[in-house]
Amino acid sequence: MPRWLRNNASLLGVMLLIGTVYLVGAVVSDRFLSFGNVLNVFEQTTDLALVSIGQTLVVLSGGIDLSVGSLISLTSCLTSGLINGNPDRIIPVVAAVLALGTVVGLVNAGLVIALHVHPLIITLGMGAILQGVTLLYALGPVGRVPRGFNFLAYGRILGLPLGATIAVVLSILIALLLRYLPLGRQIYAVGDDANAARLVGLPRTRVLMLVYGCSGFCCAATGLYLAARFGVGQPYTGVNYTLASITPVVLGGTILSGGKGGVVGTLLAAFLISLFNNLLNFMDVSKHYQLVAQALIIIFAVSVYVERRREE
Amino acid sequence: MLTLKGISKSFPGVRALSGVSLEVRSGEIHGLVGENGAGKSTLIKIIAGAYAPDAGEICFADAPAHWSSPREAKQHGVHVVYQEFALFPQLSVAENIFIGHEPRNRLGMVDHARTRREAKELLLKLGVSLNPSARVASLSVADQQMVEIARAMVHNVKLLVLDEPTAVIAGREVALLFDRLRRLRASGVSVLFISHRLDEVFAICNRVTVLKDGRLIGTRDIGEVRREHLISMMVGRDLGDLFPERPATARSGRPVLRTEAVAIGDRVRDISIELRAGEIVALAGMVGAGRSELALGLFGALPISRGTIQVGDQRFTSISPAKAIKLGMGLVTEDRKSQGLAMLLDVAANISGPTLAEVTRQGLIDKRLESAIAAHEIERYRIVCRGPDAPIATMSGGNQQKVIVARWARICRSVLILDEPTRGIDIGAKAEIYRIMRTLADGGVGILMISSELTEVIGMADRVIVMREGRVTGELIDADVTEENIMNLATSERAA
Repeated sequence: MPRWLRNNASLLGVMLLIGTVYLVGAVVSDRFLSFGNVLNVFEQTTDLALVSIGQTLVVLSGGIDLSVGSLISLTSCLTSGLINGNPDRIIPVVAAVLALGTVVGLVNAGLVIALHVHPLIITLGMGAILQGVTLLYALGPVGRVPRGFNFLAYGRILGLPLGATIAVVLSILIALLLRYLPLGRQIYAVGDDANAARLVGLPRTRVLMLVYGCSGFCCAATGLYLAARFGVGQPYTGVNYTLASITPVVLGGTILSGGKGGVVGTLLAAFLISLFNNLLNFMDVSKHYQLVAQALIIIFAVSVYVERRREE
Repeated sequence: MLTLKGISKSFPGVRALSGVSLEVRSGEIHGLVGENGAGKSTLIKIIAGAYAPDAGEICFADAPAHWSSPREAKQHGVHVVYQEFALFPQLSVAENIFIGHEPRNRLGMVDHARTRREAKELLLKLGVSLNPSARVASLSVADQQMVEIARAMVHNVKLLVLDEPTAVIAGREVALLFDRLRRLRASGVSVLFISHRLDEVFAICNRVTVLKDGRLIGTRDIGEVRREHLISMMVGRDLGDLFPERPATARSGRPVLRTEAVAIGDRVRDISIELRAGEIVALAGMVGAGRSELALGLFGALPISRGTIQVGDQRFTSISPAKAIKLGMGLVTEDRKSQGLAMLLDVAANISGPTLAEVTRQGLIDKRLESAIAAHEIERYRIVCRGPDAPIATMSGGNQQKVIVARWARICRSVLILDEPTRGIDIGAKAEIYRIMRTLADGGVGILMISSELTEVIGMADRVIVMREGRVTGELIDADVTEENIMNLATSERAA
């Protein structure tokens, strides 16, 4: 197998699957192929894409962030709760929420380093804490978002959905970060072999702060987007995102143990998942079967990925 | 350049170093020798900044040094190339060399083209031509070694610490390495050279320090000390002959193992060999010849794609480890930490491993019986540990290896395969293992020993089979067993 093919096998695999879904969709309905539907799917990928991008970074470093769902709930509630219909508050609240997300991420990183505990445990605990804080703030839908804010979710820029475009721009920035920042390359190293990284003197603290900080930022962005989409923040809105954020990461070719992969694959995989859901909607498949179908995709994709890992 | 005074370090239950003093001068290659468990690894990690000493002082470049991390030590010019390598398998050669010190362009961003270019230049200076974009995981062990050394060359290194640098390279590559080290020495760099291969220590070091049981035994100028003297300093006793006597009738037993045209994946192409009872056959060849794959295949750990294996009277086209054990076979794997031992368990569990049925009474493990068996083996093989309940992870490499050998020696009736049984092991433990091997052979077991150490091959083997690229290139017995013949067959193009 030529080297370029081997290195990008997962990306090509995802694109192949996207093509397959389109082929099947073409048979099912010609509305499926319409440009409007493409934009539709693109738009519906936004929330999953945003949170998965941050998760990709964390997984690359050899860790995992299980606090994402709760952080999304918290940030979306704070957004609508603090703005509470007042357009003057939009900018400060957006800035504060993004800052909060980043700070939570930094705290995660700090705990991992200071306590020498696996990120899985730290972020799991942090997630529980954040959910508790969210419920302290709001037991049900809280506040509201002024008309202009919905633009974030429903608006168009150059004909493309704004939210989704922001997600794409964010992933491009992060991909550049990974490639051109020395710290970016060091993320891969720490994920590949943490012990070697320590022996070689890599700044693990800085690396972890970067990845968890970014993940927190992405969660806050997701929370903002959801507040814009639903017009109101809800305390349990993020619950499904924790596990859901891992699927595109794995499907996109990032190895769970870290050290290999990237955000491009994650983005494509998130699109694939949305597309697949979209197809199932066109086929009138009940939402419950959709969950089963998604789970089957994950199992199939992971088993292919495991085969690939063993070959190396 | 580097002065250590009275360094002591303890871990829970173990006193790794007591009052060790060492001095490495600038422009000197200083050898550090000692048995496994003598404290060399701990000393290296202290010098590297990975551990902090409990007591004592370190002086580097005429200034006191209190390093809190490997990063700090590196910034001061101390570079360590570890025996197990600290490489990143998924990253490229160039990335590995420059990780942490990536060449940047004017904007502060990583300059990938320059990284690749400078990596290639560094490697060429070491006499190696590698593709800087190749993934390190795809390289041979010897090439990985070169990447490690290239990495140490990136910065102005004042002290280069090499931990067993020649463990996985031979011949031309060793010569190149030594040449480079001499050039470094000439430019004022100090080198701390840790090795079990005393010939090499004598070839390249100016002075040598001996450690034993965490203590300094002495430092000598290379010209003023002889090999036997050094060995007795390391071991603390006279070793006599390292290799046990070879009985004249060793090759005359009945065949216990025979392979016919065995192929395993693409590493083993066509192997037909025979092993007789009471015989020690050495399997020689370069790294990558397929010997380990053959060993794993014979034991059933790798599937055989073609050919048959005959153990005693029974012939098989496929075999499994469970079946192999039932047939009285044993396999001491190449990497004891990842392939042989249950690192989190104790000595007794590691000895009873393949034969749990033996210590099971009515569905439960009889711990007392298991302990008694282990205690017997500990005494028989002089394994140094606190008892059958000693955690295997705290023991030295040599003692760990003895546990594995003890495990198989107990139950082996027909064939024992050993893959690099004395790699990374001190001389004392080596002698013990050789003794065990010969005793087993005398008892009727056929022994297949894979080894890259030619003195060991020549000293132990009744017969030598040489492999290259998955095929047998020749067999040697008696007077034909010489370093030259073996190397010729290991690198020749013609198959037997």
